Amino acid sequence: MIERFDLDGKAIVVTGGGRGLGRGMAMALAEAGAQVLIASRTEEQLAGVTEEIRAAGGKADYFVFDATKSADVDALVQDCVLRYGQIDVMFANAGGGQGPDLEFWEFPDDGFQATMEQNLHSVFYAARAASAQMMKQGTPGVVVPTASGSALRGRLPFAYPTAKGGVLSLTRSMAMTLAAHNIRVNTIVPGYVSQRPPKDAQEQAVREQRGSFVPVKRLGEWWELGPLAIFLASEASSYITGAQFIIDGGGLAAGLGPVGFRPRHEV
Amino acid sequence: MPLTRYFDLTGKKALVIGADNPAGGAIARAYAEAGADVALCALTPDEAVMRARAVRRDIEAMGHRAPEYIMDVTLGKNVQVTTRQIVKDLGGLDMVAVAPDVFLAKPIESTTDTDLARTMQTNFNPHFFAVRTAAQEFRRQQKPGRIVLVTSVLGQRGVPNTTAYAAAHGAVHNLVRAAAEELAGDQIMVNGIALGWMDWMDDRLDPADPEAQRAGRFMAMKRRGQPEEVGPLAVYLSSEVATGYVTGQIFPVDGGLLLHL
Repeated sequence: MIERFDLDGKAIVVTGGGRGLGRGMAMALAEAGAQVLIASRTEEQLAGVTEEIRAAGGKADYFVFDATKSADVDALVQDCVLRYGQIDVMFANAGGGQGPDLEFWEFPDDGFQATMEQNLHSVFYAARAASAQMMKQGTPGVVVPTASGSALRGRLPFAYPTAKGGVLSLTRSMAMTLAAHNIRVNTIVPGYVSQRPPKDAQEQAVREQRGSFVPVKRLGEWWELGPLAIFLASEASSYITGAQFIIDGGGLAAGLGPVGFRPRHEV
Repeated sequence: MPLTRYFDLTGKKALVIGADNPAGGAIARAYAEAGADVALCALTPDEAVMRARAVRRDIEAMGHRAPEYIMDVTLGKNVQVTTRQIVKDLGGLDMVAVAPDVFLAKPIESTTDTDLARTMQTNFNPHFFAVRTAAQEFRRQQKPGRIVLVTSVLGQRGVPNTTAYAAAHGAVHNLVRAAAEELAGDQIMVNGIALGWMDWMDDRLDPADPEAQRAGRFMAMKRRGQPEEVGPLAVYLSSEVATGYVTGQIFPVDGGLLLHL
């Protein structure tokens, strides 16, 4: 059973792997034995994470790319094949950006478009390139997009949750289509998770205050996505496809009142 | 293999209620393989005990303890008292998996009062009693705890002839959410595993029914799940390191069955 979690020698791409949740996932995947190719726009961050993984005894390389350009994404997958001979798992994690801070009725075309490209198109490009290559290889594969808990509730600014809602829907359709080719697709749905350690005491205090609104009374930490990434990338999840893996400290199972609210009970 | 940090349950104490059925047995074996001692509860003093004993032999061969008990899960008091004894015997408790599952297929008009009561008593009440008792034990120890409720995808969809069974599992689904919220402050995580059509469930289908054969093809993965595919998720959901921020969720192990329209 426990060997089902093993990723020894697996070739795994993590987009948006230079920081935050992507970095946390990449480090854990490498710890579980995978060869990890991390990719983002910012070479300095990628080089840092690659170095960190290697220093810990893991295998990592990086590729500078723009997740919103499909030619870049295709090149990323080809780079993975050149380096490791194939691709086994794609974490389509790159995303972010809310568009301009404007009211809904003033929101501009380009702001909406850019948010969709960063958060939805990027996942489509990554999943398409990876699945095409997996089918060419004739090997089983896994695709894991990162969505957001905000997609499951109403929230402003609206463009980002809208794009992430698209990711959830895309995941279900991809899972249905790709199952016949032994490719599983599951989404990671983070709630409020800190992207890095706090810079100072003030930031820590802000986090603690925000954490008090989460049922487990704290924010998630970037590294907590790691074990989930290992589970979804590995044979441990062999009969799971099309599912949403929410990691949110209990937030989305609640929401009908503030944390701490309890209907009055009889004494 | 450097996985131990996230999925290592060495030294942990586990309780599996319904270890006599394939899902419970698989979870118990997986817990033990990850390093835990596992108390095994069979639900009835009959051949169920023999099935739990087979699990015990496997676990003892791995070098872990696996005492067997008979727990009448239809009685809250029995769940409480037996669990108390188990905690004493094991020397603590870190995780509880709850797997009782008694299927009922009947049109609603012929589902009797007794059928309904029995279906709730065997599919929902045990989960409620187990969460209530586990919460008590975890709080007594003042330590984090993990509760995994095994349920069915029928808890969130409808299929003809399953009104009582599907409603009982729907109740389990929302038990996961409500209990998770109530216990989150004490770092007691409550999550569910919703099973689809598993390979031990063939007796739920009528071999003469052509629609039953088609039902198998509704799964995206076009095959039934196996017991070994349930264990790893339970290990993930029971690991203190891996799931400190995961609670109130129901995760399908269904080969993509829920994707179908």
